[in-house]
Amino acid sequence: MKTFVALLQREYWEHRGAFLKTPLIIGAVTIVVLLLGYLTTERFDQVMSNGQAIELGGQALQGIDSEKISTVIDVFMLTTESIYHLVLFIIVFFFLLGSLYDDRKDGSILFWKSLPISDTQTVLSKLITATVVVPVVFTACVILSHLAFFIVLSLLLLINGVNPFVILWSNIDFISNWGAFAIGCFVQAMWAMPVYGWLLFASSFSKRRPFLLAVFVPMMVGFVWYWYNAIFEFNVFKIGVFKTVGILLAKATTPFTSGLGFDFENIDFDASNQTKLELIKSMLNGLTSANIYYGLVFAAIMVAIAIYVRRFRNAT
Amino acid sequence: MSYVLTAQNVYKKYGSFQALKDVNININKGKIVGLIGPNGAGKTTLLKSVLGLDSCEGELKVLGIDPYKRRADLMKEICFIADVAVLPKWIKVSQLLTFTENTHPNFSIEQAKQFLSKTKIKLSHKIKELSKGMTAQLHLAIVMSIDAKLLVLDEPTLGLDILFRKRFYDNLLNDYFDNERTIIITTHQVEEIEHILTDVLFIREGEIVLNANMDELNESYFEVMVNQENYEQAMTYNPLTMRKVFGKYIMLFHSTSRDVIETLGEVQRPSVSDLFVALMQEGESA
Repeated sequence: MKTFVALLQREYWEHRGAFLKTPLIIGAVTIVVLLLGYLTTERFDQVMSNGQAIELGGQALQGIDSEKISTVIDVFMLTTESIYHLVLFIIVFFFLLGSLYDDRKDGSILFWKSLPISDTQTVLSKLITATVVVPVVFTACVILSHLAFFIVLSLLLLINGVNPFVILWSNIDFISNWGAFAIGCFVQAMWAMPVYGWLLFASSFSKRRPFLLAVFVPMMVGFVWYWYNAIFEFNVFKIGVFKTVGILLAKATTPFTSGLGFDFENIDFDASNQTKLELIKSMLNGLTSANIYYGLVFAAIMVAIAIYVRRFRNAT
Repeated sequence: MSYVLTAQNVYKKYGSFQALKDVNININKGKIVGLIGPNGAGKTTLLKSVLGLDSCEGELKVLGIDPYKRRADLMKEICFIADVAVLPKWIKVSQLLTFTENTHPNFSIEQAKQFLSKTKIKLSHKIKELSKGMTAQLHLAIVMSIDAKLLVLDEPTLGLDILFRKRFYDNLLNDYFDNERTIIITTHQVEEIEHILTDVLFIREGEIVLNANMDELNESYFEVMVNQENYEQAMTYNPLTMRKVFGKYIMLFHSTSRDVIETLGEVQRPSVSDLFVALMQEGESA
């Protein structure tokens, strides 16, 4: 157990830049965008109407129904959260792709293997980093970034004589919005598991370019399958592999919509009807799909192969 | 008698290439064994099998453990330095020590810090900021702070300057080695380690061609300075090698007794490297 915690800590040390700094930078960017937007508006307002518009706007804000403000805040929080989900997937993608390859490339695998750590522990520590450590760090960063954003917004409101506690803070539903992100991370990990397993396999197996193996081999299989069906079955609409991978990637990058079906009848186009709790319910509902379990079985097989190969492949 | 390492009929094939052929060795504890062979002779293949980094056929046991099947267990009791500069570049010295402490039950972080205090290495350094020699020092400090029964060194000083190399082996001998421990070393710089070896293993084309301790070597291999007048007589004893220096012949003999050899001229103890060259050439001409 102590060993396993040390392995997770090791991954965090090595990838602190990607795991911690990236989400914080995204948070900083949202704040910069807010400030730029405010300053531009204020400047235009000063020049064109001597600052009346912002003053009137502030007054108008106080008249708005708190339920509507709450909805706007929800949309802001959930939208930024889906950006974090997408970025998380990209970061984990490249982390896993290098995880069992980079140390073979620079030879440091010979040091890691001189310690009493089994290859199973090593490979599983990469998977747990991808599915638990990174999401936990990201959740903390989302919370920090949102709080910082709301504090800056509060200052802007105060400057313009609007009470931020009445208008802003009392209308924020922290628990549901942050809860949606945390649960989103879990749902994301579940859908992405076959992709993660495949990446671990590619990283462990590849001798030269794990990226080529990870990306182009599935594409080749997809093409072969498509043209086989097109030429021999006269069916140009059968896109099997691409469809499966595409749906998987869509669900793995945007877990908020993962609970929705992909046939048109099931898609709920009116997003405003979906409250945060319904969103969580819908995501969890998606997990009852049998596809999840096929994916987990595939991931388990891929991880097992990655461990098997890791035992004897010590160089690139 | 329990051996630290036993190999019976160990062999390894890569496709049709036979990297190891029928290796049979037993190594006792308290030995410093030099594993010596030309490039591509199978040294690294043998060491990889011993360290559980690759599979092999036949019966190989290190401390009674099958290395490939139970590498993680074995690594509690043995440690190795394979090549210089295999420490991860991105890690800080302090992180490396903490990680090793958390994963290795027989590692003493205090001892490692004590070793490091005698060097220029600081805990806040990243490995990539260290020179090659300092990286080797750090690695040796970590390894010496592990209470291991067997230490395997595969070209541990390659590319280091002579000062570092000398200090490396001095530290190893004075601060680490005792009769409870065993060390296996491979290196191309045989001259530098031959005075610390207790045993030598010569390997050629995957086969062990010589397995002897240093005393045996000194009793069966002789280097003789032969004068011109004894030349004909000396040639009848089939010297392994011969070279001419200042009008005298320096010949290397393999003999069970010193008596006859002594009549030919001044007898010296041959260096391991000369012996190595002689035995490798013998194999080529045969």
